[in-house]
Amino acid sequence: MIEDSGRREFLATAAVGTTVGVAGCTDALTPDDNGSDSEAADFPSDDIEIICPFDEGGGTDLTARQLSEQLENQLDTSSFVTNSTGGSGSVGFSEIASASADGHTLGILTVEICTVSHLDIGDVTHEDMTPILQYNFDPAALTVHEDAPYDSLEEFVDYAEDNPGEISVSNSGTGAIWHLAAAEFEQAADIELDHIGYEGAAPATEAVLGGEVEATTSSAAEVSSQVQDGDLEMLAFFGDERHPAFEDVPTLTEEGYDVTVGAWRGIGGPAGMDEEIVETLEDAFDEIHSSEEFEEFMENNNFQLEHRDAEEFGQFMDEEYDRFGELIDELGIEGE
Amino acid sequence: MLAGLLEGLSLVFQPLALALIVFGVVVGIVMGSIPGMTATMTVAVLVSFTFGMNPTEGMMLLLGIYGGALYAGSIPAILIRTPGTPSAAATIFDGFPLSEQGQAGKAIGIATIASFVGGAVSVLIVTVLSPQIANVALNIGSPEYFAIAFFGLTIIASISGDSITKGMLSGLLGMLIATVGLDPTLGQPRFTFGFPELSAGIEFIAVMIGLFGLAEGVNRYREGIGTIDLQQDLSGITPSRADLKSIRNVTLGSSVAGSIIGSIPGAGGDIASFVTYNEAKRWAKNATPEFGSGNIKGVAAAESGNNSSTAGALVPTLTLGIPGDSVTAILIGALLVHGIQPGPGLFDNEPGLVFSIFIGFFLVYVVILVLGLLGAHVWVRVINFPAKYLWPSIFVLCVVGTFALRGNLLDMWVMVAAGVLGFILRMDGYPLAPIVLGMILGPIAEENLRRSLELSNGSWDIIYTSPIAMVILLLAAASLVAPIALQYRESE
Repeated sequence: MIEDSGRREFLATAAVGTTVGVAGCTDALTPDDNGSDSEAADFPSDDIEIICPFDEGGGTDLTARQLSEQLENQLDTSSFVTNSTGGSGSVGFSEIASASADGHTLGILTVEICTVSHLDIGDVTHEDMTPILQYNFDPAALTVHEDAPYDSLEEFVDYAEDNPGEISVSNSGTGAIWHLAAAEFEQAADIELDHIGYEGAAPATEAVLGGEVEATTSSAAEVSSQVQDGDLEMLAFFGDERHPAFEDVPTLTEEGYDVTVGAWRGIGGPAGMDEEIVETLEDAFDEIHSSEEFEEFMENNNFQLEHRDAEEFGQFMDEEYDRFGELIDELGIEGE
Repeated sequence: MLAGLLEGLSLVFQPLALALIVFGVVVGIVMGSIPGMTATMTVAVLVSFTFGMNPTEGMMLLLGIYGGALYAGSIPAILIRTPGTPSAAATIFDGFPLSEQGQAGKAIGIATIASFVGGAVSVLIVTVLSPQIANVALNIGSPEYFAIAFFGLTIIASISGDSITKGMLSGLLGMLIATVGLDPTLGQPRFTFGFPELSAGIEFIAVMIGLFGLAEGVNRYREGIGTIDLQQDLSGITPSRADLKSIRNVTLGSSVAGSIIGSIPGAGGDIASFVTYNEAKRWAKNATPEFGSGNIKGVAAAESGNNSSTAGALVPTLTLGIPGDSVTAILIGALLVHGIQPGPGLFDNEPGLVFSIFIGFFLVYVVILVLGLLGAHVWVRVINFPAKYLWPSIFVLCVVGTFALRGNLLDMWVMVAAGVLGFILRMDGYPLAPIVLGMILGPIAEENLRRSLELSNGSWDIIYTSPIAMVILLLAAASLVAPIALQYRESE
């Protein structure tokens, strides 16, 4: 039991601790919305928060912070990033979806917004969002060990046809985008692959290096250093066009498989945003997107630029949502 | 390797990084001196404050705390017969008798030297061997990872303290907690009860903060926080040349042994110091004074043992991504936040960071040596500092630190629940450390076993045709049987 004077001391010292503690994590706290009904005309009338559904320091977070920084100049307001993570992004997505649709709370929308509901991880979908602009698309790549008995996509497919189920393909986790990418290619090529999930893309790449699996399908950026060193060989790129750093690697489309798949990122807000505000934001992010600073940032961090405006981005998410829904159904990894 | 070493040097020798090392050591020494406040708790509560720093700076702070707390645990062990951290329990055997004989200063001096030698020797060993181990590790696969994690889990039997059964139950509870989240093979949510926040699993740092911060603190209040009024003569802290000579062999031997023990996943400073103390005792049969009645060799063996285990624990942490103990498990969490994946690839991808960790950890022990010898008078007063002023702040830090992990309110509930659970378990004598071990190693074992079986299409051949996996599994079997055999022999 804490006696009376002890209780006072307890509170006093707790208060000291609070001051120390809160001073250390103010960036994790969100300032209160002032609640005024902001009209499109005087938008932005407050700070703009960008919710990042993934951890601080990760790729998505880096882009969110870059956008936030440039948005400040663009709209002459303050902007800050908060990370709300978990559930393969669905925690952050839900937070974006439930925010006030006045344009002062935005968020990064990634490919997971079109998969988590199919995977039964969360119930938030792209329909809970207002798309603003897509700025990035990192397609998958099929990469094998340099000692592998196949040196081209054709040989790989032939080998897989002769030895169904023999080739193991590592991915960054069951149901993650790189798993879906491998599965989509598998369907298009009508071959049988063995999908092996790892805890992230780095261990999945190491599994190919160590010879535990035969191939991997993560983004080109993830394997680029090992491919440049010659330990790994990239057989196909899953983008629309060839990867600028790997000009000699053909795309799946060139090789006759109608598959384009990868991770992507865009910016959006909660559903039901005022059209004029969306337009203001779209223009602002458009400017950022075409700035030299942003292009340089994306290149330095190995993110590929993509541009879809609000309308195109919305349609794109519709298509992605349907396609991943079918794919996940067929793979049988959806929940009850 | 040379390029990595140079890059590491340039990362560490920055004003901020160096300042963080000193600051970390001071914080570590203060926390480690206060019974109940462990290295694990301090690192867990403060880890989220390093997320805003660059990875090297964050590591410097955390390693400083880690080394400082493990060293300082010896001070109350010597002076008031209470280990500041569990790892210092073996230091009591000879340290407290020395203190009773009025030689507390000498005991603290020896403990400081032995901690420095233990830490420094083991950092050197680890720096030389880790890159080689990482090279080998690149070629080991899922069956071997499973075996290593399983071996770590069997260590629970030997760290369980009084009752192996209670230890096992704690360990299984930890494994059970870790099953919450997405199934690693099927990708389906398990035990998430519809909360998307839970699909990434229960945040283990939140659990650790609850267990080692909240539960420990509440337990201290239950036992009553007294004020210790300590008046000790602290002369002769700097050991004489003769003393140094007499502890030379035992310190070096214990440093090597401690490094090896520390590198076993799950085995930390507590096991290392008991083993090195017992070995030293066995080797010095006719020591005068006898071991247990104030022999400085006993202090030296225990302290070099537990401090050398810290760098040893970095081996599996950095080369395999499997934490060597609960503190290194938090270090892995801190690196992951920066998008850095510990594992064999780390040595190729981030050589500068790896070597900055080694260099920084070496400097941590240099700082401990200097601060320990010069400032012992000050650190001793920390014990007198009434803990009732500190615990309330710790409670606040528990909450703030948990929220700052990733801004998730659910983590706070997890922390509070873990605190309540930990408190109840402690009252019934269940050890808490195995819970953490189970939470960390359980999923690694599960994931790799299931992946192995997926790779082999369900055949167990993949496990027993791997020589490395078999050797490690045999060691695991031995570590399971040994404590039971020992207990049986003792009861004879």
